[in-house]
Amino acid sequence: MSLGTRRRVALLTCRVLQRALPPGLQPWGGAIAQEVAEIDDDDAALRFALHGLFGLAPRIILFQLARPLAALTGRDTRNGGTVDMDLYEVVVRRPQALGTACAVGAVLLGLAYMWAAGAPLRYLGINTGALAVGLGLLALSGGLVGVARRWPGALTLAMGVLLLATGLLGDRSEGAARWVAFGGLFIQPSLILLPAMIVGFARSRNALSAIGLIVAAAAMAIQPDRAMAGMLAAGLAVLAALRPDRWVLPAFAASALAFGITLVRPDTLPAMPYVDQILYSAFDVHALAGLAVLGGSILLVVPAIVGKLYDATHREAYSVFGIVWLAAILAAAIGNYPTPIVGYGGSAVLGYMLSLAMLPTATRACIGAEVSIRDEAPGQQPVDRHLCIGIALTS
Amino acid sequence: MARSRTLSNHARNILFALLEARGGWQHGYELARLAGVKSGTLYPLLIRLEEQGYLQAEWQQPLEGGRPPRHAYRLTAAGEQLARDNPPHGAAAAARAVAI
Repeated sequence: MSLGTRRRVALLTCRVLQRALPPGLQPWGGAIAQEVAEIDDDDAALRFALHGLFGLAPRIILFQLARPLAALTGRDTRNGGTVDMDLYEVVVRRPQALGTACAVGAVLLGLAYMWAAGAPLRYLGINTGALAVGLGLLALSGGLVGVARRWPGALTLAMGVLLLATGLLGDRSEGAARWVAFGGLFIQPSLILLPAMIVGFARSRNALSAIGLIVAAAAMAIQPDRAMAGMLAAGLAVLAALRPDRWVLPAFAASALAFGITLVRPDTLPAMPYVDQILYSAFDVHALAGLAVLGGSILLVVPAIVGKLYDATHREAYSVFGIVWLAAILAAAIGNYPTPIVGYGGSAVLGYMLSLAMLPTATRACIGAEVSIRDEAPGQQPVDRHLCIGIALTS
Repeated sequence: MARSRTLSNHARNILFALLEARGGWQHGYELARLAGVKSGTLYPLLIRLEEQGYLQAEWQQPLEGGRPPRHAYRLTAAGEQLARDNPPHGAAAAARAVAI
């Protein structure tokens, strides 16, 4: 690269930086450009410009992500405000919006993978249908807030009993009983209910919900399901580390025991094509297919990362949400378990939507001319129509 | 949205370099060299410090005519306090050694 070329690349980098930055930060792009102009050495100028672009790339990416999300909240990102504030607003007021965007992105990437891998069109249709059902359920959320307020522990216990019933009475395959036949489909209730149960438990808990999770742990040992038992143990381990109270510790102990039992018991289920172990095999199909699966998997934990960064008051819930889905991804990476959302499997899509519904939201209360963000009181989160529909789907 | 975090050593170095200017204005390239950080580290930290009210930033006309204005930085009173409370790790260790 000639000296003149280096200078031109440096200036071009500065122009790109200025254009890509959010409006509120564009003067900083100009500041870098002026510094570059002051540096006599072309190499040093190029390095300064490139490092500047690299360092501010996260802000640029967040800004591009925040634009459509901020539109959902009615916030205008063109004038005023910062990316931090936009994401803060989205996460605190509408965490489901961010999660929904991630879920849609993950499913689309999964569809791209399946199409590239030559999966039957029926598979693509089922995943698309599951996404549509999940989005519909999310749109209808809030109707059963009263039910959830009155009986949050009973709801978790009921779900635990349903999971136990699946282990005892569900459809068996190769010695495992994890599925329920429903309308010609085999759905996996644990993948639908368990993430929501764990995230809900992180938000508020009592004796009944702790018993519900202990029953769920027993169900995972009976089914047996290492992936789901591992997810439960991982979620409760994080919660126990952050908030070791009298309800969390027994539930965590039961989940660790259940996970240990599933590790001892044989799991002879073979990998299903387009469903299990696709994190690696997708790269055999095509590098882009592999990147689609990897990117979709990463998208699933984005709400947890952003929520943990921007909603300090609910870090437990976001941490548990993140670890739960990370555990599911890891299980799929090392065993014959479905890759959440990205692989073929409507249960994971519904489960992801249900767990999103359990994330905290704040409501806006207008007092005079002021607008303040008021968090819901513990135990008053809008636990939700999804859960009951999820129960209906599994019963 | 105030968030308290442990400052990185890069941030401490930048604060220290700004503090050393004793109220004077500094420019980005010079500051990066003084603090021993790359521009990719410097600017995100400057932006954050400015958003949190620890840093003043303004466009200044150059002394020589015909040159464009440059962005210049200096600590606010709160920034000076933050810099004093968070010296670079080496400086803190040296200060402790002197105290002992």
